[in-house]
Amino acid sequence: MSIPRRQFLLGTAAIAAAGAAGLRPAFADDISLRQIFWGSKARADRTYSVNDLFAKANPSTKVQGEFLAWNDYWPKLATQTAGGDAPDIIQMDYRYIVEYAKRGAIAPLDEFVGKSLKLDDFDKDQLEGGKVGGKLYGISLGANSVALIINTAAFKEAGLEVPGPNFTYDDVLKAGEAFKKANIRGGIKAFQDGSGVEPALENWLRQRGKALYTADGKLGFDAADLTEWFKLWKSLRDAGAIVTPDNQALDTGPLESTMVSLGKAAVTFANSNQLVAFQAIIKDPVTISNFPRVAAGSKGGHYRKPSMFWSVAGGSKLKEDATKYLSFFVGDPGAAKVLGVERGIPCSAAVRAAIAPSLDAQSQVALQFVSNLGDLLGPIPPPPPANAGEVATALLTKSQEVAFGQQSPEDAGPAFVQQAGEILTRKS
Amino acid sequence: MTVRPFAADAELAGDGRAVTTSVWTRFWRRNGAGYAFLTPWLIGFFGLTVGPALISLYLSFTDFNLLQAPTWTGSANFVRIFTADPKFLQSIRVTFLFVAFSVPLKLAFALAIAVLLNRGLRGLSLYRAVFYLPSLLGASVAIAVLWRELFSGDGLINKLLATIGIEGPSWISNPRYALWTLVLLSVWQFGSPMIIFLAGLRQIPRDVYEAAAIDGAGRTRQFWSITLPLLTPVIFFNAVIQTIDAFKSFTPAFIISSGTGNPINSTLFYTLYLYQEAFGFFRMGYASALAWILLVIIAVFTGLSFLSSRFWVHYDD
Repeated sequence: MSIPRRQFLLGTAAIAAAGAAGLRPAFADDISLRQIFWGSKARADRTYSVNDLFAKANPSTKVQGEFLAWNDYWPKLATQTAGGDAPDIIQMDYRYIVEYAKRGAIAPLDEFVGKSLKLDDFDKDQLEGGKVGGKLYGISLGANSVALIINTAAFKEAGLEVPGPNFTYDDVLKAGEAFKKANIRGGIKAFQDGSGVEPALENWLRQRGKALYTADGKLGFDAADLTEWFKLWKSLRDAGAIVTPDNQALDTGPLESTMVSLGKAAVTFANSNQLVAFQAIIKDPVTISNFPRVAAGSKGGHYRKPSMFWSVAGGSKLKEDATKYLSFFVGDPGAAKVLGVERGIPCSAAVRAAIAPSLDAQSQVALQFVSNLGDLLGPIPPPPPANAGEVATALLTKSQEVAFGQQSPEDAGPAFVQQAGEILTRKS
Repeated sequence: MTVRPFAADAELAGDGRAVTTSVWTRFWRRNGAGYAFLTPWLIGFFGLTVGPALISLYLSFTDFNLLQAPTWTGSANFVRIFTADPKFLQSIRVTFLFVAFSVPLKLAFALAIAVLLNRGLRGLSLYRAVFYLPSLLGASVAIAVLWRELFSGDGLINKLLATIGIEGPSWISNPRYALWTLVLLSVWQFGSPMIIFLAGLRQIPRDVYEAAAIDGAGRTRQFWSITLPLLTPVIFFNAVIQTIDAFKSFTPAFIISSGTGNPINSTLFYTLYLYQEAFGFFRMGYASALAWILLVIIAVFTGLSFLSSRFWVHYDD
């Protein structure tokens, strides 16, 4: 049997055409928004559910999300931005919003407020947090604060009270010794080594009336402060109260590699909104509390900050549609229920009221924690200067030099202050 | 349809004007088809390799930061690299250590296995495939993750050591050992030089060995006096390729330290530092300068290898 060639060609062409048509039901007014964010799988699941809800409410608009780990996120976003291919909806951080806004990589949203972007009962301070040069560049996705992530089961097994609001650095030592004596879970320690954790240093400095950075972008502390900080951690390390340096060095950034996730320590330094993500990967019940106090009654270490923002790309052709999505994300009760407090405490009072009854116990804990910081709460610091990210990296490296015994705290303090000074004064 | 490959030439021969056609036209008529078939590759070569390389040369003299248009800063990047950048020096130190140890070890290991396999084993192709397997997985993310697990504090290596009473540190996160676990990872991926060695060993004529055996040379003597000298072209080739690869090594250190190069920058490979500057701190101009310095370093080493080859590489003819 033979098929004439021409007929065969015509036939296959027809089938191919039919197939192509079938694959793309052509709605001429289909709008597709691209979205990018950093975070864990727990965050991605919630975000994609909201995208589905949004698609149901707006059948002509689709949101295609993509998520990466923090470390991979910024290179990708910068590359896409440089290539003129940035996604429409961009998750933005306090550390980078000024850079991106100044360079026009994200768009001011003021013209949409009250129209496609409804922010009527949004917290004023959270709205202010998203402004650069008086214009609104980022919609805060929730307030949060630094917090200890605590494995409560480990504390129970060690026969200790879970750290509370009055927990001090002296108590860290006591807890560490108790854990050592209890010798549970293959020698789990009470605390991670926090000497290289920038937010922990900042919190400790603030309680002592200093700051990480001054308003004009200089270091807000001196060599003596840092030497004392490194000495504090050295004494904890020498007492066996915290994890060993080579265990601490396993923590390379991602949530999964923190000491509390790896079961090396019962407490790790993190952010309040991360409770949800930590609980998703840790089997034992975890809770949060404030960072240790320098001494009983010392205050003002914490501050409430926008955990992250949604911004709209400066080059986006779908700015209005994007702002519609942002409105939905921060204002729709259904969306809010899905999101919970995973990105932080919602900034709209109505939304907070709507989700309160449906929150699980842990989210309640996070909500209560951020709302009731009391005397721990201080003013929000100015945005960090350019190159602050590099200073944080240098702090981590320096802390490792001290921890592995390559440099004494007395030498490391001045060495770091000099190094940080050089980084900050460099032009690029 | 019949193919007449030389039709154009034939017409030329019969036409008086053909004598006056330019060299270019003649070149084109003769080789045009070949270049036409090469176009996809040529587009890739110029569009994706040469073009970006030249642009990065330009960028290395600017302060390009991905978000703003670059401005010319002259030699500022290079001046800072050579006079005021401790991380550059550290990354050079790490990379040279890595190259100096991983390349000879890997080649020695590959050669040893190749010699073993060349003894007329049964099931040679199976062994060859098995030994090649690590190289296939080679630079993959999965292997780097596996390495992390193997060499961490409570990883498999320490569990094995514990059975003989040794309590090992967390190798992968200890500044004293972290780099050596990466050297080991590189040596373990000896597959491709091994295959090339094996092919080289096959080329050595049997009768040379027979003659040596008759003269009373033992196996060891045969290896040093016949195998090694006759294999030098292959060793040279492998050494050059592996050295270049080692200088460019990136993925294992990137995965194992999540791109930080820690602990204490002990795994801060040159390419990793370059990546940090480019995509961590957005100093694309500075990173371009670093990239060109690496290119020069590799070129110098390759050039030196070729110069030295005159003294130790023996070609048959």
